[in-house]
Amino acid sequence: MSANNEPNIVAFLCNWCSYAGADLAGTSRVQYPSNINVIRVMCTGRINPLFVVNALQQGADGVLVSGCHPGDCHYMEGNYFARRRLGMLKDLLEYVGVDPRRFHMSWVSASEGHKWKEVVEKTVEDAREARSYEGFRRRQIDW
Amino acid sequence: MELEKLRETAAEIAARDDVKYLIGWKKGSYGYRVAPAFAEDAEGASDFIFSPLCTANLATYLTLVEKLPLPRGQEPDKRKVALMVKGCDSRAVTQLLVEKGIHREEVIIIGCPCPGMVDPDLLNKKYPETEETAELKWDNDGFVIVRDGEETKVPREELLDEKCQLCRYPNPVVSDIMLDDPVKAWEPVEDEGVKEIEEKAVEGRWDYWQQEFSNCIRCYSCRNVCPLCYCQDCILDRQNPDWVYRSVNFSENTAFNIARAFHLAGRCIECGECERVCPANIPLGKINRKLAREVRDKYGFEPGLDPDAEPFQASYKPDDPEDFIL
Amino acid sequence: MTDKPKIGVYICHCGINIASTVDVETVEEYALKLPNVEVARTYSYMCSDPGQALIKEDIKEQGLNRIVVASCSPRMHETTFRKAIQETGLNPYFLEMANIREQCSWVHEETEEATAKAKKLITASVAKVRLLEALESKEVDAEPAALVIGAGIAGIQAALDIADAGFKTYLVEKTPSVGGRMAQLDKTFPTLDCSACILTPKMVDCASHPNIELLSYSEVEEINGFIGNFDIKVRKKARYVDFDKCTGCGDCAKECRVADRFPSEFDQGMGNRSAIYLPFPQAVPAKYTIDPENCLYLKRGKCGKDPKCQEVCGAGAIDFDQQDEFVEFKVGAIIVATGFDPFNPSRKPEYGYDDYPNVITGMEMERLVSASGPTGGKVLINNGEEEIEPKEVAFIKCVGSRDESVGNEYCSRVCCMYTAKQAHLIREKLPDANIRIYYMDVRAFGKGYEEFYDRVRRENVRYIRGNPSEIFKRGNKLIVKAENTLTSTPVEDEVDLVVLGVGLEPRAEMREIMDLLRLSQSGDRFFLEAHPKLRPVDTATEGVYLAGCCQGPKDIPDTVAQAKGAASSAMIPLARGKVTIDAQVAEVNEATCRGCGFCVEICPYTAIEMVTVNRFGHEIEVARVNEALCKGCGSCSAACLSDSVQPKSFRDRQILPQIAALGVIK
Ligand SMILES: Cc1cc2nc3c(=O)[nH]c(=O)nc-3n(C[C@H](O)[C@H](O)[C@H](O)COP(=O)(O)OP(=O)(O)OC[C@H]3O[C@@H](n4cnc5c(N)ncnc54)[C@H](O)[C@@H]3O)c2cc1C
Ligand code: SF4
Ligand code: SF4
Ligand code: SF4
Ligand code: SF4
Ligand code: SF4
Ligand code: SF4
Repeated sequence: MSANNEPNIVAFLCNWCSYAGADLAGTSRVQYPSNINVIRVMCTGRINPLFVVNALQQGADGVLVSGCHPGDCHYMEGNYFARRRLGMLKDLLEYVGVDPRRFHMSWVSASEGHKWKEVVEKTVEDAREARSYEGFRRRQIDW
Repeated sequence: MELEKLRETAAEIAARDDVKYLIGWKKGSYGYRVAPAFAEDAEGASDFIFSPLCTANLATYLTLVEKLPLPRGQEPDKRKVALMVKGCDSRAVTQLLVEKGIHREEVIIIGCPCPGMVDPDLLNKKYPETEETAELKWDNDGFVIVRDGEETKVPREELLDEKCQLCRYPNPVVSDIMLDDPVKAWEPVEDEGVKEIEEKAVEGRWDYWQQEFSNCIRCYSCRNVCPLCYCQDCILDRQNPDWVYRSVNFSENTAFNIARAFHLAGRCIECGECERVCPANIPLGKINRKLAREVRDKYGFEPGLDPDAEPFQASYKPDDPEDFIL
Repeated sequence: MTDKPKIGVYICHCGINIASTVDVETVEEYALKLPNVEVARTYSYMCSDPGQALIKEDIKEQGLNRIVVASCSPRMHETTFRKAIQETGLNPYFLEMANIREQCSWVHEETEEATAKAKKLITASVAKVRLLEALESKEVDAEPAALVIGAGIAGIQAALDIADAGFKTYLVEKTPSVGGRMAQLDKTFPTLDCSACILTPKMVDCASHPNIELLSYSEVEEINGFIGNFDIKVRKKARYVDFDKCTGCGDCAKECRVADRFPSEFDQGMGNRSAIYLPFPQAVPAKYTIDPENCLYLKRGKCGKDPKCQEVCGAGAIDFDQQDEFVEFKVGAIIVATGFDPFNPSRKPEYGYDDYPNVITGMEMERLVSASGPTGGKVLINNGEEEIEPKEVAFIKCVGSRDESVGNEYCSRVCCMYTAKQAHLIREKLPDANIRIYYMDVRAFGKGYEEFYDRVRRENVRYIRGNPSEIFKRGNKLIVKAENTLTSTPVEDEVDLVVLGVGLEPRAEMREIMDLLRLSQSGDRFFLEAHPKLRPVDTATEGVYLAGCCQGPKDIPDTVAQAKGAASSAMIPLARGKVTIDAQVAEVNEATCRGCGFCVEICPYTAIEMVTVNRFGHEIEVARVNEALCKGCGSCSAACLSDSVQPKSFRDRQILPQIAALGVIK
């Protein structure tokens, strides 16, 4: 967590639903915490679960993955694959003691600007409260 | 299992023209040691054994053998590989079939119904090995240790390996030849190791694993021994992108261990080899088994049972659990 | 990476939309310090012509080779900036956008926060843009021809539209004649046009159209390729009648030694046909076909002294040596119009369809009231003892629809209206009959439907709300047992005829087509469209479209509308003459692929196949992406343990630095 104690969140969003939903939140001027930083991918199916581990290791205090509701995937099935993989990852992270509040997944459609705000707030809040795990931080991050 | 019958069958198979070699176990150089053995002919198979010390999962060798470049014009040796398998090993073979690591027609599988292996560390601690002839046999309700010609009977519970206490498939699930009648499967005990961690609060779990992972020396033995870690170019070795840095520290060790375990989710068949070979004694089985149990209980899936199954990580069910989703 | 990245970062004010919240000057200063950044500028409207000109000039003059535009959402202007970059000769995919409007200035009011976040987003974009690769979108020629599978009204209409637009169209029909189920109908709701009168001209048109090659009594055997370039192989089944010689006179059928012995498919088994037959009088093509299952000569090698048909055929058209033939051709688009099967009420034994001859289906009713039907249009039924004109007639709706016990939860959409129609037709023929309809709901949603339903009710047709539980026989009457759910009274209704309003089901043999075209089924087992709302005629396989009841139950107006929609979609690649293959597709690194096939299992577009390659003398299997089918979703890559398949522009090695960049800066 940074000096001002503000959690840093990395979010992976699918292009068609959640990224569009976040755009809609913007168009509707919905205000939400600025801690969230979005990486756009085409589909939640693209999200390698190890991205989440990598983000936690590389300085994210919380990670969010968001995509289309089941049945609405632009590519038909990508979010189903993602749900299975990331559900497994969540179990694994919890088991090794990563605070479950550090990783969330949500379904946010292109019309759910307000839900996006709620999801962001929840993710930020949870990361703020989550137990520190500094030791997991990569010593030196280069990009 | 009759040793005579085993050796007879082994010799017969090793001698076949269409067989490149037979992989089995034989006595090692000293004490309790048992070594994997490759027999190219009948002679080579004459000292094969099957005992409570044959823990090694030989399925690893199916993919481990490198396909070295062939001189121009030379045909690859397409003869079959024969392999002796216990229950757990046979699941590795099945999972390899699912993942096309091997093809069914390339292997001959010799099934060894398995009454359970001993925990080698425990054995050595309680009944230290002797230089010459330390051996182990099964009898009705336990193990018989033979040291310098002297027999000691030990009840099964005392020495049974943890993975075997938990074993649900002691009989090979795939085979061409079975060396014996199936053993009666036993009621697996509760997985105390996993339970103990589950019962800890999240902090406790983190501290526990922090302790364990700090010991990892990143030798990659766990990956190398795993029959299902057969990627020619493992992402954990790659530099671009570098998923894990080479440095050995808690951060990278943790990332490494999570990644390895996750790659085995829905694939690990709980042979316990990774844990057995880990020089740092990290209880890797506790991670693998936890994931295996989640996969079984939540997703109704068990790897390594059906060669035609859809791979767990490459499939989904519309009603997969989603209670974790916000 | 070929050349050292030289990055230009362009920060848009978007009037005041961005600049009033984000301190763009500070951001500019910051960006200039980022690695590989040569130029950073702010401008009032980056998307405007002068804004774009700014980027273009810098590319030319400063030799920039990577561009970051920090402005609105990439969903808004990514294409705009790609084009601008491309105009300078730089690869359009060397662009990354930082969304500092929708996802920054508009959602965070505090300047400090918004500015800090803009910096982060730009850093991540810089991290990624350095690693982007040049991509080329390819164009390949599209064959200006189409294949339509199934010649019911859907297939006929689609084929006619495409052919009228000037494209060669192959229309493949499995049965000896085109027309499908509609040909079997008598009159059609709600306007009561005679089905044959409106359909026959279209059937004739599609046989005579210069652009249509009608392949009747044929089946598609093989389909390979992708949009614009499908290779098709069709099996023309042997009719044992020379197509060119047969004049359609029908002498053969009359004289056939087993004349009128076999249940006619067209008459739903209520009438008979010979072993050599024309399915129905208006059949197109009007060519006879020998049914090899029943022809004495084809079955046993002997039919009297000489086969009778051969003896009487003046044209000498009978040819017992005929073999199946194969035709091969190329098309650019495919329309699937394979229709439906009526629900088989044997699966609801409580209705006694298998036991009582006077329990019939709606489809049989169509034939019974048809002037060309087995009774010449007289409503005559056998009550098990004698042929009578029914006095008491009951209809039961929703048979096999909205019924979980038979696995069909959906509404079949036509039964409400066709039972009303049939009630009306019976009323016309039997003015004194008592007609009642057992129903769960009446759904009269289409144009003119509610009016038609009202009209039928006024014609003294009783609607009884209740789903009969059983039908049994008492004396020479049938008893319909039900509960009137409006009055909550049990009913035991004595009738002479029960018509089951059977629903529509997916074709039993649809699997073959699914496998040929890699189509999927939706929950109701009909073919799955690409998107239920926005792409209702497309499928996941590009270049393959759906029309008619194969996609779900429909009435004729909807079937025709969808057929026309499918035809116009199919004509897009044909008219363009080219198809563009997206550049952002996945790619396999064959050197690291372990051949597990996970990606093949995953790809929703079956864009990946396993191929055998020779590596240093060993034959090994590796995955290969068909770029024409891949949509770049990247699902394959997350399943690939060895990271061997990766979507271009979204590779792991492009995303991990993005993650790192977001982590480093606070
Ligand atoms: C009893 C009843 C009464 C109805 N009455 C009315 C009405 O009054 N008004 C109204 O609007 N609608 C009515 N309908 C609905 C109407 O029948 C359908 O909307 C219409 O027939 C759908 O046409 P289609 O072309 O989609 O399918 P189909 O008519 O089923 O045509 C499909 C064609 O594809 C062919 N085929 C199938 N598989 C293959 C293959 N693999 N290869 C090649 N060819 C193949 C079939 O042989 C058939 O010719 C009624 C339906 C029923 C059941
Ligand atoms: S896990 Fe089962 S099959 Fe494997 S060694 Fe133990 S008892 Fe035998
Ligand atoms: S075997 Fe043990 S020490 Fe070696 S890399 Fe694996 S976990 Fe670490
Ligand atoms: S992860 Fe360990 S227990 Fe699982 S299959 Fe591999 S070696 Fe065996
Ligand atoms: S850890 Fe993963 S990438 Fe490495 S060998 Fe095992 S399965 Fe392959
Ligand atoms: S998932 Fe990866 S390793 Fe497996 S076949 Fe596909 S590209 Fe190859
Ligand atoms: S990116 Fe998507 S469409 Fe392309 S091959 Fe991979 S899974 Fe299939």
